[in-house]
Formats: sequence, structure tokens, C-alpha cells
Amino acid sequence: MLRVEGMKIRYGAVQAVHGVDLNVGNGELVTLIGANGAGKSSILAGIAGSIPPAEGKVLLKGQPLTGLPADVISRKGIALTPEGRRVFAHLTVGENLHLGGAAFAKGNELRARRDSMLSRFPILAERIDQKAGSLSGGEQQMLAIARSLMSQPDLLLLDEPSLGLAPQTIDKVYELIEDLRKQGLTILLVEQNVELALSVADRGYVVANGRIALSGTASELASSDLVRQAYLAI
Amino acid sequence: MEFVQYLVNILSLGGIYALLALGLAIVFSIVGLINFAHGELMTIAGYLIVLSLSFGLPLPVVLLVACLGAALSAVLMDRIAFRPMRSASVTTLMITSFGVSTICKVFFQNGVSARGRAVALPEWMSGTLTFGGFQIGMVPLTSIALTALALIGLDIFLRKTTLGVAMRAASEDFIMVSLLGLRANTVIATSFAISGLLAGIAAILWISQRGSVDPLMGFTPVLKAFIAAIIGGLGSLRGAVLGGFVLGALEVGSEPFLTTGTAPYRDALVLLAVVLLLLVKPDGLLPAVRGLRS
Repeated sequence: MLRVEGMKIRYGAVQAVHGVDLNVGNGELVTLIGANGAGKSSILAGIAGSIPPAEGKVLLKGQPLTGLPADVISRKGIALTPEGRRVFAHLTVGENLHLGGAAFAKGNELRARRDSMLSRFPILAERIDQKAGSLSGGEQQMLAIARSLMSQPDLLLLDEPSLGLAPQTIDKVYELIEDLRKQGLTILLVEQNVELALSVADRGYVVANGRIALSGTASELASSDLVRQAYLAI
Repeated sequence: MEFVQYLVNILSLGGIYALLALGLAIVFSIVGLINFAHGELMTIAGYLIVLSLSFGLPLPVVLLVACLGAALSAVLMDRIAFRPMRSASVTTLMITSFGVSTICKVFFQNGVSARGRAVALPEWMSGTLTFGGFQIGMVPLTSIALTALALIGLDIFLRKTTLGVAMRAASEDFIMVSLLGLRANTVIATSFAISGLLAGIAAILWISQRGSVDPLMGFTPVLKAFIAAIIGGLGSLRGAVLGGFVLGALEVGSEPFLTTGTAPYRDALVLLAVVLLLLVKPDGLLPAVRGLRS
């Protein structure tokens, strides 16, 4: 589904990602784990085009995406639910969902997508006319994911979906992620909570200092010395 | 009686400032550009009125040509001058807009005429209407009606259309809008088109009150509109409208208190009031809302 080759990302003089290779297979849930500032979010932003990579290739279903603007990449089938959720706080829940699908469907088809999203997330249906900024953190995360799903993406990029949420809410978000995976959606998940990420993922990459330090299946990573010592503190 | 007269004057002058300030605010809220060439859009609309009147076109067509011409010019300004500078800093953008403004002015002065041209208004516009004892001029009345129509129309557009909702979203978090697959350049071009359309309407109202068009006609009203936008809170659309009417109220409302000695200082006194206002509310009356930007 997705292949990234030799991706480098720079912020001015600072290099955040130093030549990363990774791939995500059809229907897989792959996670990028690592410490804060390791470059995980930058890799997702590089794939989605919100920060154009300085070097390297990104291929979706064999098609090159390198150098395309974010809106074009999104229309090719990649949806990013960014860190911090970034729902439009002063727009209603309904308007947020509408914009999520507006580039992909019109009229009845768009309404049908919205209705199916509302039946999937009853809490959003209850709050349809409320400003997104008035929702709780967990509700905003659900809205952000629902907004991404409105485009019916081939690949969903999830950036730190558990960040800043209460433990019970995190469970709900992760139940949703597992559901989506069961339905066959391909997901690339960035998560600081390594234990949580490895509990749902098929495979993972450990990112450290802008490089891939280790990769393997979720169970291989969970039992590796590097992950156990550095991230799981066992 | 006098109060009604003042109210009409406040609404008609404030309305022009509001339309112009709104145009500045729409572009600023989305692109981060303070477009100093906004006044030239008014001038373009003004010359289009002169030109199409000289062809003997009927008034509604003349006004349509002026508004659409200003909207198209705004889109072209973006396409030619601002789009290549999209990733540039706010200062660079501002200086670019000064450049566009100067080029337009020089073109009007040398290519058209440095002197003003009188615009003959249709007969009915110089008349007055009588409402139960009040006499109100057609010009201010038309101004108020057109301003109200433009504001209501824009409000409906921003709330009911996908493009309008996307523009509101873009003013919070522009990158997120493009991450949703919505075309960034379409959203920006629409914001310029609307700002041009509003400048065109404002030009019609401004000219109907002054009766002439000249190469520098856009400068004063847009400077006032810029002040109005700051009073309201730069980048806030509701603020821009409110700021326009507040500035109109300050200018018209100060008139009865001015003597022949103090009248020349009207603008200075009004600006002093604005400074005092900003001391109390530094972000303006209705500050712009900004989403989280990473």
C-alpha cells in the first residue's frame, strides 16, 4: 500500500528525519513508536504532504506522491488525523464532518457518508450542531478520526490519538482503531504509548533521532531488549 | 429628527468602511496578507463605472460590471503577484501589496488621467424619500440597503456553502483544510474574489456620495477600513463589520461637537479615540479566533 524510501525532512537548518525507509502492506496496522521528538510526526507529515520532504520517495499503491501538495495527496487516498486533533473549533460538529468529505462526495452521497458516520459515533450525532471546540478531548479525537474517515481513505495516518486523554477514553479510541483494522482499513499509527501501540499493531518501527532504529512484528518488538529497556521500562 | 439623520449617515458611511474592512479581513484571515492594494480595487471599479457609462449601458449592468471587474482584478492580483509569494513572510507579502498598489496607481495616473472624472448619477438618486416627517436622501438609503444585502449574502455564503464553510475553517487552520483534500488555491482565490466584490460595492457607494473618480480615490477609504479592521480585531470578520460602523459613528457622531476651529482636526480626534479604545482592548472589540497551529 505505502512505501517510503530515503525520506529526509528539514525544518530550516535542523534535520528532523535522516533517510527513513518503511512500508505498510494492504490491511496492515503498522506503528511508529519512539520518544518525543524522535521524528515520528514529521514522517507522517512528510507522507501527507503537510511538510514536503527534502529528499526521498513516497509511493501509494506504486504511484509516486513525492512533491505533491497536501490536498492532492489527500485526494489520492491518504487521510491524516494529526496530533492535537485539530478539529475546527469554531465550526459545528456537522460542518467538520461535511468538510472531511466535501472533496470526495457531493449531495446525497456526502449526506449518506455523514449519516453513516453519525450512526457509528452516536456521541457526535447528539452534538451535531455544537461547536467542535465545546467537545471534550475524547469527543474531539472521535470527531477528528470521523472527519478523516469521511474521505473513505485507502490509508489512515493516526498521530498520537491517545495524547492528553483520560485512560477510559483512550480505551474507547483504541477499540475504534481495532474495529477499523478489522474492517480492513490500512493504518499507520504514531504513538508515544509504546505498550498500547504494540498491543494493536501487526508490525512496528522504532524511530530514534530521525532514523529507524529497529523494525519487526509487534510481538518481536515487545520482546526486544531495546524496546523493553528504552520504552517499556521493564 | 436630527438623530435619525445622524443614524442614516452613520449607517451609510460606516457601511462603506464595513464592506472594505470585511474585504481586508477575509483575505487576512486566510492568507495572512494585509492587502494595501485593496484601494486600487475600488479605483478599478470606479473607472469601470466611467467606462461602461460612456458606452451607454443601463445602470444595473454598469454596477454589475464594476463589481465583477473588481472581483476579477482581485483574483488576478492574487494569481500574478501573491501566489508566487505564498510561502513568503508576512512582511514580504505586505511589501508586495504596496508594489501592486503603486503599479496600479501609476498606471491610472499615466494610462488614464491624473485628474478626476465626474460621474453623472441617474436622476432618481439625487432625490429624497419622506418617511413620516423624515426626509432621507436616496444615496444614503441605497447605501444602507446595498450594505445590508452584501452582509446578509456573505453571511449565508459563509454558513451554507461548502466553499464558505471551508473559508471559515481555513481562517482557523489552513493546513488542515488542505489535508482534507480541499483545494487550497480555490479557497484563497475565493477569498480574493469576495474581497474584490465587496470593494466594488463599496466603490459604487463611495462614488455615489462624491460623484467623481480619480487615481487615488481608494486610498482614504481603505486607510479608514484598515483602522476599522483593527478596531474590530484584525482577521475577525464580525469585528471588521463592527469596526466599520464604530468608525463611522465616531466620524459622524463627532460632527455636532466640532467648531470651525476644531473641525480640521476631526480625523486626528477620531484616531485619538481609536488609540484610547485599543489601550483598553488591544486585540480589538471582537478579536479573531485562531486554531492551534503546529
